[in-house]
Amino acid sequence: MSSPLLEVTDLEAGYGPINVLHKLSLRVDRGEIVAMIGANGAGKTTTLMCLSGVVKARGGKIVLDGKDLVADRVPAHNIVKLGLAQSPEGRKIFSRLSVLENLEMGAFTRSDKDGVKADIEKAFVMFPILRERQHQAGGLLSGGQQQMLAIARALMARPKLLLLDEPSLGLAPQIVVQIFDVIKELNKQGVSVLLVEQNARMALKVAHRGYVLETGRITFTDKADVLLNDPRIRAAYLGE
Amino acid sequence: MPELFAQTDVAGFEQYLLLGLVVGSLYALIALGYTMVYGIIELINFAHGDLFMLGTFLALSLATWVGVETVTGQGNAAIAATVLVMLVVTPLACASLNILTDRVVYKPLRNSPKLTVIVSAIGVSFIFMNLGLFWKGATPVRFPDLIPDNNLIAGTGLAFTWKDLMVVGVTVPAMIALTLFVKFTPLGKAMRATAQNPTAAQLMGINVDRVIAATFGIGGALAGVASVVYGLYIKSVDYQIGFQNGLYAFTAAVLGGIGNIPGAVLGGIVIGVVGELSKAYLGAKWSEATIFAILIVILLFRPAGLLGARVREKV
Repeated sequence: MSSPLLEVTDLEAGYGPINVLHKLSLRVDRGEIVAMIGANGAGKTTTLMCLSGVVKARGGKIVLDGKDLVADRVPAHNIVKLGLAQSPEGRKIFSRLSVLENLEMGAFTRSDKDGVKADIEKAFVMFPILRERQHQAGGLLSGGQQQMLAIARALMARPKLLLLDEPSLGLAPQIVVQIFDVIKELNKQGVSVLLVEQNARMALKVAHRGYVLETGRITFTDKADVLLNDPRIRAAYLGE
Repeated sequence: MPELFAQTDVAGFEQYLLLGLVVGSLYALIALGYTMVYGIIELINFAHGDLFMLGTFLALSLATWVGVETVTGQGNAAIAATVLVMLVVTPLACASLNILTDRVVYKPLRNSPKLTVIVSAIGVSFIFMNLGLFWKGATPVRFPDLIPDNNLIAGTGLAFTWKDLMVVGVTVPAMIALTLFVKFTPLGKAMRATAQNPTAAQLMGINVDRVIAATFGIGGALAGVASVVYGLYIKSVDYQIGFQNGLYAFTAAVLGGIGNIPGAVLGGIVIGVVGELSKAYLGAKWSEATIFAILIVILLFRPAGLLGARVREKV
């Protein structure tokens, strides 16, 4: 059995005097889509920011591909090189950089110019609207287009593990379907995904496994279809 | 005719305009240091003008050490070499001092309230000013007059000397180089990305601390270039020039839209031209009042500055 791509053990993190994550543990195996669902303020975004090194872990372990990011104090700017990229909540597009420059920023840690060019072409094939708008400022795109750009930008790092924070937030239903199709397709191509969503139903439908996060603690974890059919989950997160 | 318009003649107007452009490009060079640092960490670096002042002092000392203090009795080669030494050493020293200041003073305060950092910058400004006072004393010091004053366009009724040419010949290429750097190099793009969204920049694998240090370095180097040009042009320096020129340059940055690089250049030139024209037609005592009145009027109608219009962020 190969080791998991990401193994988080007893993670503690927070802001100022407040701890947000309490002994949080989770795992992403190679080739998996893992969903993390939970209410507002449960600590989903903090978890992802901690994995990306933007929020410092106060305790526990984050082992990515065999390397402990917490013990080795790996700074945020080196985590991308280790194979972890994130499309953050609220997209965080560089609004005054062009679409093309946004994609180039995603490949900031790479030095293989030809490979980067090829990957920009791949992004344009995946999201044709980005090709049309490549010279426009990122801030001029619609919300759905910005979400596509944020995902494409994260993929430019050629990550082994892609973190997606609320990719469906504020988008029209048909765009959401399109985004989730892309997530499935990426996974088929070998990218492992950790998906954070308030749209629990959509997330659990594409995921292999799921975690439920409540006030900084994992309260349930199981195969995604089991969670989808659990009456407690259905009542609390699926609006039934 | 009232005395107010005593100097109004056509050639006069063109002359003051030309002078305004020359002085304005100097302000622009200093303004870039304010605007770049603000753009990236939202700090109004009040010590920037005083860094410029220390630059003029260093350039002055360099001329003394090299032994070329006056244009008379020197070969052109010796003068050119002296100016070149000034233009290389001073920007490097100013860049290093600016990076060091950030490392020692501002970086530990990166997550503190903005006001804390600004007050620290005012403190650094006083420290620099007093260093200057200690270094060269309280009275103005003569700066070597190395660039000749011959009129290059004699016969047109206008004056444009070697000195004017030197200002334009140094500041314009510096600004063009900066623009190309920021637009096309990976570090330049990383600077723009960090300015627009530091968190996202970290998520791209950009070393934000390195980008901030580079910004302080480039801003400091431009102040160093400006200090050499200023010394050679004005020929007199003292420990207070940082405050006045810094204030004008900061105003230029705000006028153009703080955080915006072309805005700082435009703001500098507007302030240079307005300052010279008001000096000529309203009297020197009115030039500051005119500059700040125009700043107020422009900010009333364009609060983000002339070029500071932001792309609306979609949520």
